[in-house]
Amino acid sequence: MKVGIPRALHYYKFFPFWKKLFDELNVEIILSSPTNKKLVEVGVMHGFGELCLPVKVYYGHALQLVEEHPDLDFLFVPRYVSELKESYWCPKWISLPDVIKILPNCPRLLNFEVNVKEFPIATAVIELGKQLGKSQSASLEAYKKAQKYYDEYLEFLRKGVSVIHALRLVLRDVSFKVPKRKSKGSIKFLLLGHAYNLFDTYVNLDFAKKLNDQDVEVITIENLPEHIFKEQVIVNKKLLNYWRHEEEIMQAIRYFLTKGRNEIDGVIFLISFACGPDSLISELIMHDMKAVGIPYLAIIIDEHSGDAGLLTRIESFTDMIKRKKQKQRAASKQKIKSTIKVS
Amino acid sequence: MLASFPNMGLSRVAFKTLVECMGVDVVLPDPTNREAIKIGVKYSPEFVCFPFKATLGDLKNALDKGADTLIMAIDCGPCRFGFYASVQERLLKEMGYKNFRLIPLDQADLLSFRWLRLIFKIGPSNRLTLYTKALKAVRFFLKKAKHLEDIQTAEGIFRAYERNQGDTTRVVNKLVKQLDETNTIQGLRAFRNVIKDTFNNMDIDKTRNPLRVGISGEIHISLEPYVNLDIRRKLGEMGVLINQSISLYDWIVHKFHLNYHRKWLEHLARPHLPMDIGGEAVWVIGEYIDTATAGFDGFVHQYPFTCMPEVTARTIITNHLQKIYDLPVIYFSFDEQSGSEGFRTRLEAFVDLLHARRDKKIEDQKISIDAYKKIAYDHYGNNFYNECVQFVQTK
Repeated sequence: MKVGIPRALHYYKFFPFWKKLFDELNVEIILSSPTNKKLVEVGVMHGFGELCLPVKVYYGHALQLVEEHPDLDFLFVPRYVSELKESYWCPKWISLPDVIKILPNCPRLLNFEVNVKEFPIATAVIELGKQLGKSQSASLEAYKKAQKYYDEYLEFLRKGVSVIHALRLVLRDVSFKVPKRKSKGSIKFLLLGHAYNLFDTYVNLDFAKKLNDQDVEVITIENLPEHIFKEQVIVNKKLLNYWRHEEEIMQAIRYFLTKGRNEIDGVIFLISFACGPDSLISELIMHDMKAVGIPYLAIIIDEHSGDAGLLTRIESFTDMIKRKKQKQRAASKQKIKSTIKVS
Repeated sequence: MLASFPNMGLSRVAFKTLVECMGVDVVLPDPTNREAIKIGVKYSPEFVCFPFKATLGDLKNALDKGADTLIMAIDCGPCRFGFYASVQERLLKEMGYKNFRLIPLDQADLLSFRWLRLIFKIGPSNRLTLYTKALKAVRFFLKKAKHLEDIQTAEGIFRAYERNQGDTTRVVNKLVKQLDETNTIQGLRAFRNVIKDTFNNMDIDKTRNPLRVGISGEIHISLEPYVNLDIRRKLGEMGVLINQSISLYDWIVHKFHLNYHRKWLEHLARPHLPMDIGGEAVWVIGEYIDTATAGFDGFVHQYPFTCMPEVTARTIITNHLQKIYDLPVIYFSFDEQSGSEGFRTRLEAFVDLLHARRDKKIEDQKISIDAYKKIAYDHYGNNFYNECVQFVQTK
């Protein structure tokens, strides 16, 4: 049995979980190729202007799978509604299967609905197993193993490994081992944003590498310790922050605004154009950053990304921070010298 | 204490009653205008949806007029609406207004009756009269909201038949003013007949055969005429009969789980979108199917630029439903860039195409226009809509 999985959107967040789950259920996974120019073009043709880029890219991936693998039994387009009670994913995630199933020649979709408000994830997995012709106990067993594997994966990420590297290990079925050669840089940035923007190297024009070339060390939300994400962020007492991913971003930011103030030198927020949640969140973050004084850069990406312009912005941002740091260092040296003289 | 709330078209009449009956003075912001929107755009995040900007402008205007208590609806759905009140409060504080309180009117589930506590909050501290006052306020609010809905329904129908252009607009303005001044329960009970009589006494040409178009979309955009460039009036003056089932009353009753029309629409939309994803996405899809089966000639979908749920609804309609139901549809996404002439051109083109399409259909099928109309299934629209249609069609 063959199941196609588009390499976009949820892939960058949940793929290890799915992989283990399908492996345990003896189902073959077929991934679409990494995002490329043609794929984006097809996606943009199918989705109209106001959709955000990640969804258009998703269209491209789904259509490529449909076209190149006519023998697919199922296309796996999960519906992630809520992972915690009182929380939601973005409306476009929630309605994703409904939008994908009406594409031309689309094979049957594998229904997998994560909606903790209504039923636990185990129920969803049993439902999934039924469609694949597996027994209830087999699906439950697979779910347990997959969850364990996914927890290990998350733990591995917290050691400071980049998601791109970790996903590569998952794809090759290699056990998790921290690479010896760690990226080091003179300054350290927190790269914020949704996983599908940060780790899709075509969409963001290999952003992380551009930063590394500038001698910058990059960390993402996934690399942060778990205790940061335990407590809810209160923007305003009347507000229930119900977007799951945005909540994580805010929690990370809260940490760096308070305790972790000196751990990073700057924050870069990658936003895709027409992203609903980020449009509000980025504004909130910007105000906080101004108050505390951490350098902050918001970059909005869409399908017309120009490489040179992006590079200029990154260079100017990093140069500014480096200069600021040098100045600080010189000032502190001077201070030490003067104190020695006095004594 | 001086309470205020943002504009949403004619709904201000109903909200005003709700607050005034609690014994609180109300100051209304100016009707949404260019200045308010300019201010909203200046202080809001760049990519936020348009109702946020419009309501922020209104709130600032109300504060300038001396209000100290702002009432703003919130939701806890998956779309951006849930963030409005809290982010706006923050923005207003940053703009330099310190002494005001913003009361969020939670409308997640009105049957939980948490909103009563909020109404008590704005009410007087005298506990003795509190409950009677709240009861009266809610009762008047619902009545007025219902009458506003009826006015809106009648307006859509009668404007297509009016002999002198502008009559309907005048009648509506008069009625709304009258409704605003009616503050007794007897007066409100009799008001339904007032609406009917006023519209029935209009000078109308019953021989016309107007096109019929359904309108749906995001609620603030659909109800606020400045924001949607008065789309219903423009269409009506081109001789199109309009039905828009979205109104404040419709929404409130839905939140009390008593709106069977919306339940019907959900039922129709279920195969295409099985759950509520915020905004009006589910009902827009249902409405599209409903109007198509009722034999309408066209459909208008209006939403704020980049609204997440409505964009999904649009995708499903264009990619899938349009092929099945074959009902012409036009989309308008509104933001602060309002070019009214381009907008009018698009509407005219749409109406022209609908005319050509109807003529061709009638010619091809060799049926009379009366028979063509009968394709409609008869349980479309609410009671009042059907009464109006009957009145217009009996010669």
